[in-house]
Amino acid sequence: MNKKVVSILSASMMISVIAGCSGNNNEPAASSSPASASTASSSPGASGASSGDAAKQKVTITALKYKYGEVPPTDKNGVNLINEHFNVDYQINMIPQGSYSDKLSAVFASGTLPDIISFEGDDAWNRYPKFAKQGAFADLDSIIQQYPSMSGVPDYIYDQFKVDGKIYAIPTFSPARSVFSIMIRKDWLDNLNLSVPTSYEELKKVALAFTNDDPDKNGKKDTYGFALGKDLNPKLNMGTYWDPTAWYHKDEQGRFIPGSIAPGYKEVVQTLADLYKQGAVTPDFVTLDWANTNKEFYSGKAGIFIAAINGMSEDYVKGLLAIQPEAKFVSLEAFKAPDGSQGWTAARGFGGFNVISAQAAKDPVKLERILEILEFSRKFYPVEDRKETNPDYDFYLGNVGVSYDMVDGKPKFKENAVNLGLAPSTFLPDGGWPAKEADMNYPAGYSLPLIQELTGSLANHLNSTNWYASPNYPVISQTNLDKGAQLDQYLIDEQTKMIAGQRPVSDWDKMVDEWKKMGGEQIIQEVNAGIAIKDASEAWIK
Amino acid sequence: MNIRSFQDRVFDWVNYAFMLLLAIVMIFPFFYLFSVSFTTYEEFLRSQLLLWPRKWSIVAYEYIFSSHSFIRSLRVTVYITILGTLVNLFFTTTMAYGLSRKIYGQRFIMLAILFTMLFSAGMIPTYLVVKETGLLDSIWSLILPAAIAPFNLIIVRQFFMSLPQELSESALIDGASDLVIFRKIVLPLSKPILAAFGLFYAVGHWNNYFAGILYLNDQTKWPIQVILRQIVVQSDAMNALGVINPEMLANQPPPETVQMAAILISTLPILIVYPFLQKHFAKGVMIGSIKG
Repeated sequence: MNKKVVSILSASMMISVIAGCSGNNNEPAASSSPASASTASSSPGASGASSGDAAKQKVTITALKYKYGEVPPTDKNGVNLINEHFNVDYQINMIPQGSYSDKLSAVFASGTLPDIISFEGDDAWNRYPKFAKQGAFADLDSIIQQYPSMSGVPDYIYDQFKVDGKIYAIPTFSPARSVFSIMIRKDWLDNLNLSVPTSYEELKKVALAFTNDDPDKNGKKDTYGFALGKDLNPKLNMGTYWDPTAWYHKDEQGRFIPGSIAPGYKEVVQTLADLYKQGAVTPDFVTLDWANTNKEFYSGKAGIFIAAINGMSEDYVKGLLAIQPEAKFVSLEAFKAPDGSQGWTAARGFGGFNVISAQAAKDPVKLERILEILEFSRKFYPVEDRKETNPDYDFYLGNVGVSYDMVDGKPKFKENAVNLGLAPSTFLPDGGWPAKEADMNYPAGYSLPLIQELTGSLANHLNSTNWYASPNYPVISQTNLDKGAQLDQYLIDEQTKMIAGQRPVSDWDKMVDEWKKMGGEQIIQEVNAGIAIKDASEAWIK
Repeated sequence: MNIRSFQDRVFDWVNYAFMLLLAIVMIFPFFYLFSVSFTTYEEFLRSQLLLWPRKWSIVAYEYIFSSHSFIRSLRVTVYITILGTLVNLFFTTTMAYGLSRKIYGQRFIMLAILFTMLFSAGMIPTYLVVKETGLLDSIWSLILPAAIAPFNLIIVRQFFMSLPQELSESALIDGASDLVIFRKIVLPLSKPILAAFGLFYAVGHWNNYFAGILYLNDQTKWPIQVILRQIVVQSDAMNALGVINPEMLANQPPPETVQMAAILISTLPILIVYPFLQKHFAKGVMIGSIKG
């Protein structure tokens, strides 16, 4: 009996394998046809470049892009609309962001590049210069001037993309003047009759009061000050002076040093260490991942956390309001630093960037169509233009009634519209590039009044504050590329020990020396060699 | 014989207690997944450690099953796992059987196999092989490049060599060919090892994530782990990102409960299969290793 079963099993196994093998002959051929089609079209001469009416010619355009969240199907409304609108066969390949870097390596190694390739921001000083030097990308210097959304990008952003003086990348928008500030539970401050802190000294008092004086008035000692997670995330700096990422401070030799070893951040670490000892910082922060760090704050246990004008999660806040309906937030403005400065570090000014393959640029018809798509996808719609009557915007979102509806004068995607791939906006290679950052109007994008209020006041502050353009941005340091991540991690680990009380903060200088010996010294030298300014005060922009 | 000393009984009880504790430690994570996935987000936020949902909710499951890609990739993964495991077993057993006989160049082939165990090619060479063989964008790219795991092959070969030579010799005298011996004598005797390595391979296919991303451009062919990773890992990243269409972030589901539900759904099939193969499991692996 048993033998029978086994022999049937093994026989069926072989049959299915044989069947599978014979199927193998057909399947790859059929399924790899789009890939081979794209290969053919991107090879020179395959598409007739010199035909009379180029505009009517259908062009195949391949693209590679990373995607957060679910990857939608590409055979639906969104891509179809793009195909019709631009008269192209748009073959986009979207890869989950977490695996994008490896996919990119493999694609580049294979030698067949898609026409439009998206890069994540940190490739700007990593793989981008290497590939650009090898001639993989189209040189865009002369093109940029012809397209308004591309020429509007500030020079200091393009400077970061110059390889041997030429630009090969079109940056995607990310606010330069947007930072993570700190928010505090306003209702708790009011309960304890405390005012909004304007210095670390006051912030410390608030954190201790939140721990010891029962700010939620429930009679239990179940609250504390800072919500902190592993890798010292969030960083809790209240301005450039304390920012671990900005090159603001100078050492005794007059060289710029990174904030992570500077006296400003030492003050932050000292503050956290003092508070940790008294129970005012998340007790198990060393192992807490980001989702759980959020949970500490949004479950009403902690009273101090980070806030930003974009990227706030309405779900988290809804969760908090369900438990503590009286919750209110207040965001802090930059503290006045001991040296008199006050303001935040400007970001690099781009989120990611797109490049066009050198191969695709050889075909003028194709290049023009690619740029048309890029320019369209970079179009920015101010709030008043976000109407179903605006044909471009309606197309961008995938047609009213099909993928979105107008609710209270605001477009709202239908359930799953994004996941089903109904909107062209999901597939276009770029996002809008606003002329002014304030045009973004992030608060209007939220539906919860609590977040609208918080982000509104933060946006006001960010519009009026000073900004520091960190002088290390255009400098590429090879040592930093090779060892930077490891060295940063070393500092984070040591600073974590200091906060957790396993190493005294007085060891700071010793830690800096160790860091310098591991390669930090080399980084300081290389970065300083490329810094164009003499003094940090020159880098402040209003 | 039935008289057991006090110490014996104490030892037994301690043993039981220890095993029970161990079992709880093993089961608890799944139990926790279950509880969190079936509760509301508020309830999850409110409780320190959720042991049993006080408010039941299937929102997380509704969200997952309303997403087309989840079910689709679950189907893809089931397909790949079954097909892939059969391919693995077929190639592993046939090659192991061949190598267990005295054949010309056996030593060289074994060394070559050992070599691939010690030095693997790495991502890009493997990608190039898959590309040049035309497997790119085909389900077979997840199955064929790893059709034989060298380590498994070596153990299966040892197992075949440990079978009594007399069996196949007498069959040979009765006029059986090598194929008949393999099919009618060797394979039926190898049930435990087929079960054990079938499970190894199946779990490998089930958990396969990276190859899917690398080799498949068509996301309708992506296995479930890709989708799962997106639900579990990327939902956080999404929130931290500045999105140009803030309305795109609307209708985001509560992340943790969905994550738990997704993990539970995708682990369930393996959990179900495990107990049934368990009895063959230890036996199969042990037999192969005895003569190693």
